[in-house]
Amino acid sequence: MKCRSCVSRFLIVACLLAAAMPGLVQAQGKVSFNRDVLPILSDRCFLCHGPDEATREADLRFDLEDAVSNDVIAPGHPEKSEFFHRITSDDPDVRMPPAGSKLSLTKGEIDILGQWINEGAKWQQHWSFIPPQKAALPSVNNAKWCRNEIDHFILARQEEAGLSPASEANKERLIRRLSFDLTGLPPSLAEIDEFLNDKQPGAVERVVARLLKSSAYGERMATDWLDAARYSDTYGYQVDRDRFVWPWRDWVVRAFNQNMPYDRFITEQLAGDLLPDATDDQILATTFNRLHPQKVEGGSVPEEFRIEYVADRTQTFATAFLGLTMECCRCHDHKYDPLRQKEYYQLSAFFDNIAEAGLYSYFTPSVPTPTLVMADEATKAKIAAARQDIESAEKVLTEHADSEATRQAFEAWLESSPKVDPLVPGQVAHLDFEGDQNGGNESVEGRFGKAVKLSGDDAVGLKVGNFQRFEPFSVSLWMNTPDVKDRAVVFHRSRAWTDAASRGYQLLIEDGRLSASLIHFWPGNAIRIRTKEQLPTKQWHHVVVTWDGSSRADGLSIYVNGELADCDVVRDNLYKNITGGGGDNIAIGERFRDRGFTNGLVDEFKVFDRQLTKIEVAQLRDDKSLADALKDSSTVSKAKPLFDYYLATVDAAYQAKLTALREKRKELNGIADGLSEIMVMREEPTRRDTFLLNRGAYDARTEKVIPETPGVLSTLPDGASRNRLGLAKWLTQAEHPLTARVVVNRIWQMVFGRGLVRTPEDFGKQGQPPTHPELLDWLAVDFVEHGWDVKRLLKQIVLSATYRQSSEPSAESFKLDPQNLLLSWSPTFRLPAEMLRDNALATSGLLVRKIGGAPAKPYEVEVSFKPVKPDKGDGLYRRSLYTYWKRTGPAPVMMTLDASKRDVCRVRRERTSTPLETFVLMNGPQFVEAARVLSETILKQHNEDYQAALVDLFRTLTGRRPDPTELMILSDLHSQQLEYFAANSGKAAEYLKTGQRAVDPKLDADRLAALSTVANALFSFDEVVNRR
Amino acid sequence: MNKKCTGFEAASLMPRRQLLQRFGMGLGGLALADLLGAENAAQAAGGVLSELHHAPKAKRIICLFQSGAPSQIDLFDHKPLLNEKHGEQLPDEIRNGQRLTGMSGNQSSIPLAGSPFKFSQHGESGLSLSELLPHTAKVADELCVVRSMYTEAINHGPGTTFMQTGSQFPGRPSMGAWLDYGLGSENSDLPAFVVMNTKGKGGQPLVSRFWGSGFLPSRHQGVRFRAGDDPVLYLGNPAGLDASSKRNMLDALKKLHELQIAKHSSPEIETRIAQHELSFRMQASIPEATDLSKEPDHIFEQYGKDSRTPGTYAANCMLARRLAERGVRFIQLYHQGWDQHGNLAGGIRNQCGQTDQPSAALIQDLKQRDLLKDTLVIWGGEFGRTNYCQGKLTAKSFGRDHHPRCFSIWMAGGGIKGGTTYGETDPYGYNVVETPVHIHDLHATILHLMGIDHERLTFRYQGRRFRLTDVHGEVVSDVLA
Repeated sequence: MKCRSCVSRFLIVACLLAAAMPGLVQAQGKVSFNRDVLPILSDRCFLCHGPDEATREADLRFDLEDAVSNDVIAPGHPEKSEFFHRITSDDPDVRMPPAGSKLSLTKGEIDILGQWINEGAKWQQHWSFIPPQKAALPSVNNAKWCRNEIDHFILARQEEAGLSPASEANKERLIRRLSFDLTGLPPSLAEIDEFLNDKQPGAVERVVARLLKSSAYGERMATDWLDAARYSDTYGYQVDRDRFVWPWRDWVVRAFNQNMPYDRFITEQLAGDLLPDATDDQILATTFNRLHPQKVEGGSVPEEFRIEYVADRTQTFATAFLGLTMECCRCHDHKYDPLRQKEYYQLSAFFDNIAEAGLYSYFTPSVPTPTLVMADEATKAKIAAARQDIESAEKVLTEHADSEATRQAFEAWLESSPKVDPLVPGQVAHLDFEGDQNGGNESVEGRFGKAVKLSGDDAVGLKVGNFQRFEPFSVSLWMNTPDVKDRAVVFHRSRAWTDAASRGYQLLIEDGRLSASLIHFWPGNAIRIRTKEQLPTKQWHHVVVTWDGSSRADGLSIYVNGELADCDVVRDNLYKNITGGGGDNIAIGERFRDRGFTNGLVDEFKVFDRQLTKIEVAQLRDDKSLADALKDSSTVSKAKPLFDYYLATVDAAYQAKLTALREKRKELNGIADGLSEIMVMREEPTRRDTFLLNRGAYDARTEKVIPETPGVLSTLPDGASRNRLGLAKWLTQAEHPLTARVVVNRIWQMVFGRGLVRTPEDFGKQGQPPTHPELLDWLAVDFVEHGWDVKRLLKQIVLSATYRQSSEPSAESFKLDPQNLLLSWSPTFRLPAEMLRDNALATSGLLVRKIGGAPAKPYEVEVSFKPVKPDKGDGLYRRSLYTYWKRTGPAPVMMTLDASKRDVCRVRRERTSTPLETFVLMNGPQFVEAARVLSETILKQHNEDYQAALVDLFRTLTGRRPDPTELMILSDLHSQQLEYFAANSGKAAEYLKTGQRAVDPKLDADRLAALSTVANALFSFDEVVNRR
Repeated sequence: MNKKCTGFEAASLMPRRQLLQRFGMGLGGLALADLLGAENAAQAAGGVLSELHHAPKAKRIICLFQSGAPSQIDLFDHKPLLNEKHGEQLPDEIRNGQRLTGMSGNQSSIPLAGSPFKFSQHGESGLSLSELLPHTAKVADELCVVRSMYTEAINHGPGTTFMQTGSQFPGRPSMGAWLDYGLGSENSDLPAFVVMNTKGKGGQPLVSRFWGSGFLPSRHQGVRFRAGDDPVLYLGNPAGLDASSKRNMLDALKKLHELQIAKHSSPEIETRIAQHELSFRMQASIPEATDLSKEPDHIFEQYGKDSRTPGTYAANCMLARRLAERGVRFIQLYHQGWDQHGNLAGGIRNQCGQTDQPSAALIQDLKQRDLLKDTLVIWGGEFGRTNYCQGKLTAKSFGRDHHPRCFSIWMAGGGIKGGTTYGETDPYGYNVVETPVHIHDLHATILHLMGIDHERLTFRYQGRRFRLTDVHGEVVSDVLA
């Protein structure tokens, strides 16, 4: 084995060229462990000799410093190192990696490993797990080129590699670049002229300041964040209905425009609901966590998808903020990074603790809980007033009951030896099951005469029961369960179980206990109480459920055999209607796709449209309680139930006050039920248990875990609570090794097309090491030191000399560094989908500059895989950020131009170039119409002067004047097209008809069409399509 | 078949260069003056694999996806025992803890349901098929029916996603995308991966991720051909513009771009010129490929009368053959409507009426053109259906719920042993008892037939090498010819 003391310049260049080899070996010839060695070890060795214990071979691992020991890796002595022997051996039995792994090492890689051992096999912790530090600015030869710190780092690397920066871009190019990079829109001709005429120092700074102040800035920044947040206007998966989440998108636009510090931006989205005195806006920010796809497909197992949602939130957190591939640990310890499966579930526990269902509702439009009710200030005031009214009405009622006058009237009534009707008032339905009332079920001996024996698959339907939540009601029945049921539907008023999120009300048996609920959307918008005792089997019980119309759990009661049952309050948060969705009447014993009351017996089923009192419940059971009580009303125990009975059925004044209260509740419900809701995070008061799931399977629970951060980073800071707010505190600590690096890298990527770390989604060992590690760290530290100020960071970047370079590489630069890793020219890349379309709208003047609001439906949604009707008017011309996003059939123009699909968190878009792009830009109605509208404007300005018209057209689209040859080409095209339209009568009118915007009838059709085709062609011109 | 490209490159880093290769114009050989002459693309466009891992048996695939899950018990997997035990409860020892869907999982009764359809043997091989498939029966000797397929998914969304992408959850590239990524195109004037679905069918929704590219570059996603005048999004010129007028526009653009290059060489601009030229060619090649008007009457008769109506399964099958002839690598058809939870007998008869003849005709048509030998045809859905009845079992009507534990598909053509059945289920048609084939195994086998070792077609994303088969999959060598 030959040792190499230095690496030749040839090798540097070779490394620069080798796309598969991420490291750039430095000219000094020393290898860097983190940059050159660790990526090889990780990619080729860790699968069997890495962090995952389960797949580790030969008890040998190379992910820890211990790997460097005398016999395995002998520092300074490759020839004595078993490691090196193994990777260089010709013997297939000895050679590593083994053939079966289908991995191999190239000669260049073996050389690097050999050189590393030779140089002492120095070990370092993986770079991204060490907190960043500001290094001193590197010295450079051409210091006068540098405009700020960034340039020192960039130039130093270029000088090392023998490169020099490109010249400065001209002003036309620069303002175009700045405008797109900072606002996503082209500069107007007036803006260009102003900049060209501004010969004073600081002209660029003035443009940058103007752009950063423009509201278009926030829209541009939001576009990228929407990809990370997997924002979509529909739920996704298969059925993919619309959902109301755009207020969150507008929150993002606002946050960027207000230049909200990035640590705040993170904290509010992760844990806005947990901030002290959280505002609605802060709670709204947490919608971020709920933007994952959601499922409604019938028959799905809800827990399977609930776990999927938690996993999605965890993965999004890890990708967007940490740049780590935590999702690998969902099934096993990470194969490359020091992250354990348990740590994944500990992290997921932060995102597990909300009142969430695994499926949204098929039969109703309920918003999946937890939610935020969206009310403006006026409505909030109305709600507060209505609440006040209810409180007052309740107080009036209590005062009436407590008053001495009432007491005296009651006693007078008692002394009058009143005759009471043994029939309880308010009955609206009664099934005695004596006749043909069994809905296809068996008729058997009952508690009184016959009863129904339920099959579990056949319901007994009633014709009543569609109560609203402000309406008191009661249901009384005799029931007999043959066994201790895990779950059984005794009766309900609802369309379905999970398919309607149980909206309505119901009495179930759960784990042998009776459970009564009123539900808008289970579990977050509902009331449920459950008896503490199991119901004894194989005997008859008299069961009554009563409801007072209060929308509070204490208004719901279960009586068993005449006694108020001791109940746990399972949920107490009902704030929307319980009606709707279908299934308007009560059904006994069966529910769609739910478990019925199989072999259960039911008898004497009665429904009342009022809340029964205790003594009435007893009366229903024994038909004598009332009479008994009246016989001996002297004892206090009997007097109280009688008093309640008196109030409810005899005291007209009390009943009038009760009706008044009901009206007030109706009023409040009326306001609340009409308000929109949006999905947000709200921490459950009692932590839901989170489990480590074997192989990630939802039903394979193993040990219980509590919220904790990954050990390789750091633990939660002192005083941080073990919830999302604590997590946000941890994430935004100044010394966090990842957070600032990840965001700085993403912003760099936004401007330069590629990050300093080219894998913004993976800062782990399998990710690519930064091209400029010191610069990344300097920027990260500086960013935190200056209050996580995003606008300031952008300003730093775009005011650098690096940014201002021309986009044309020198021959030397292109030869030595074709990928432009060292940024010796300004990168050229196709504008993102949104900018290509927005550019057409802006240059033509069609763009409607309204900020925010409901999604817009431009022409393209009509031809998506799931076509929808496009808007009329303004909706066709909004910025693409607002385009309606449907997951199962996304906007096809956006997709053709490489927009993210928004299924999962993405922090990088691919940029491809296909003929389908040309079809869109040349034939798509949005572009054809924009070309025509732009031409109309120009034609009106330069009526007869075609040359001037073409110059302005070209300038509007490219930001610069055409040179004489270019103008000649445009002029020729224009004449050819004019001839074409003249020779083909009627074609011009046909061509101009594209789009909803009316054509100006005053203009000559052939001339307008000819000019429009020139504009139409230019939409595909390099300088229009590419950011240069 | 041995496609060469200039070397392996991580796709994410070199889209431009790969693009040029796809267009049959490696960077080194790019000569602008010759661009227009290069359009017949003598060199096919390459994928990432510099060479195939072994000799392939198939060059292209036609996947006839039957969405909704056809009942194997009523089509391919005859179970007389179910007729004997019709109406009896599914024994617990057969169900063996299998999770049921939320649709029938809470039913109090789960009665077995025999097939009302007769089965008989067909062809020299004596392949057993239901009376619902009289045309398929005629090509019995070409088919390999796999009766021991199984999956983990119990609902359509996850099931179809699994079949198409190798994972139940969204985010992975589809089969066609993997093949395009690996092998590139045989015809640079047509997309390598084309998707068609039967028009106007209801049923379980199809979603675009089924043919998506997942984390692969988006150019690998399937290109959907629609029935009608504009098979590809905005393929046609705007109203009022004809090809000559479009040519003027492209020529002017080309001149402008050449001026730019004269000042500064720019690969981005070279790519742009090539892209524009290809789009112009596609405006002719796609309508040519999708134009059925020149097909002779006897071919229409072979595919059945539906084939004269654009957008039907029959018309799509005929189109599939035309695309196969023109070197499209992966042709994906979808036919919805197989989700017979109720009224199975009527529903499945109707479905077979639409698909049986065209599917069989496609096999015959490929064979008569000598294309079957290197075209792999796959017919099947996302999972099977239960041997028990969903809802009430009545004399007139019954339905079957989703069943992941066993289902049947058939394959024919390139490299497949025809006239065979593979795998066996128990007499109840509930569990696989012999040689189970998981979806990952099917995928491994498909890639194998295309000359690819499924463990070696990988894409590095988020730090790991992803494959169509994840970390699973065994080639089912017994079905290979």
